Amino acid sequence: MVATLIDVNVLWKLVAYSLAGGIGVTLTFSIAIYGAIRFVDLRRDGHPVFAGAFGALAGVALAAVAAAVVWAVSILAEKS
Amino acid sequence: MGKDLILVIVVATALTFDFTNGFHDTANAVATLISTRALSPRLAVTMSAVLNFVGAFVSIKVATTVGKGIVEAGSASTTIVFAGLIGAIAWNLATWYFGLPSSSSHALIGGVVGAALAAEGAGAVNGSGLVEKVLVPSLVAPVLALVVAAIAIATAYRVVGRMRPGPVGRGFRLGQLITGSMQSFAHGTNDAQKTMGIIVLALIAHGDFTAADFHVPSWVKISAASAIALGTYAGGWRIIRTMGSRIIKMDAAQGFAAQGAGASVLLAAAHFGFPLSTTHVISGGVMGAGAGKRLSAVRWGVAGNIVAAWILTLPAAATGGALIYGLTRIFGTGVTGPLVVSIAAVGVLAVIFGRRLAEGRTLTAEG
Repeated sequence: MVATLIDVNVLWKLVAYSLAGGIGVTLTFSIAIYGAIRFVDLRRDGHPVFAGAFGALAGVALAAVAAAVVWAVSILAEKS
Repeated sequence: MGKDLILVIVVATALTFDFTNGFHDTANAVATLISTRALSPRLAVTMSAVLNFVGAFVSIKVATTVGKGIVEAGSASTTIVFAGLIGAIAWNLATWYFGLPSSSSHALIGGVVGAALAAEGAGAVNGSGLVEKVLVPSLVAPVLALVVAAIAIATAYRVVGRMRPGPVGRGFRLGQLITGSMQSFAHGTNDAQKTMGIIVLALIAHGDFTAADFHVPSWVKISAASAIALGTYAGGWRIIRTMGSRIIKMDAAQGFAAQGAGASVLLAAAHFGFPLSTTHVISGGVMGAGAGKRLSAVRWGVAGNIVAAWILTLPAAATGGALIYGLTRIFGTGVTGPLVVSIAAVGVLAVIFGRRLAEGRTLTAEG
């Protein structure tokens, strides 16, 4: 019955992409915040090497979020 | 002359609906931003209005769905479209009054379906389109957003839960600017187009072009984008309050998770051509962001009222559309019916909002 009303295959893909996107973006942004705070703390405490590593982690995570935003805008533009 | 006057009335009514759609749905993008103090209320609605306006020009896919996918375009008269719009506006204003975030899309579709049923019978309604594009998505949207947001906030707390709350809150508030902007942009791409679809449906009924030659003229795009942006700027503060603070007491991480989950669900749905209600998705996301922290964090009584409004939206707007259609037909098939009903509707709105202004309150504010 349900299969005649909607494409179940598409529905499963919708669920999978939504879970991956929603959890992925929140996790990645959380990692960026974690990295940024650790960077500030470690630099203040005189551990420049570790601070740099966490700074790089924050940078990579932010870049990933920015890529997700660009991908999102491209999806919206694709609809036209 | 009469046909032209009806078309003018229908277009004005459609743009009025678009305005109510804007202030009804402002909460979807800005409630979490305002609640967590990521932005001031006025700045949040200004940003949302601008992005809604820009987003309206991105696509015409939703306009095509509304214009062709729900009611058989050839069967819809301008009077049916008019009656459907009035039914939808009435339901939007009723749910706004009670601060309930219901779907403006469902109100519009319900109103037009009800008027078409009253006018032409069941044959005028595309039943499979209604189930596929409206009913099934309305079940999927909130549940999916709730689950995604609940897992997302639990994940976020696991990563930053032991860190100092000040910097964490500031970080997530910055992130909310991105997710809130995405929500507003996506809302413009979806909701402004519904009005475009309805105006095109009226133009087809008026004989300006045929259903086979479906397209959206530029003046329709510009006027629909302007109306939804103005409505968004007016701000539906009652619904913003419900969404931002009455369902859950929200921190910045929850605001980010709710909006991030909502944006992901909406974008995935757009990618697969699965039409979802923005309101259902964001409400589900807010509930999920609360439930992911702890189940008792969600005020389930408020959530229940919202779900009841969702269930009622389609039949209530359909009943309104059918009743208005019946009312217009009392005056015959010409322009008199829509003219009388629209004058009466403007009079009722003038009294309601005039009293608010006289009491020194803004048009859409609480209280």
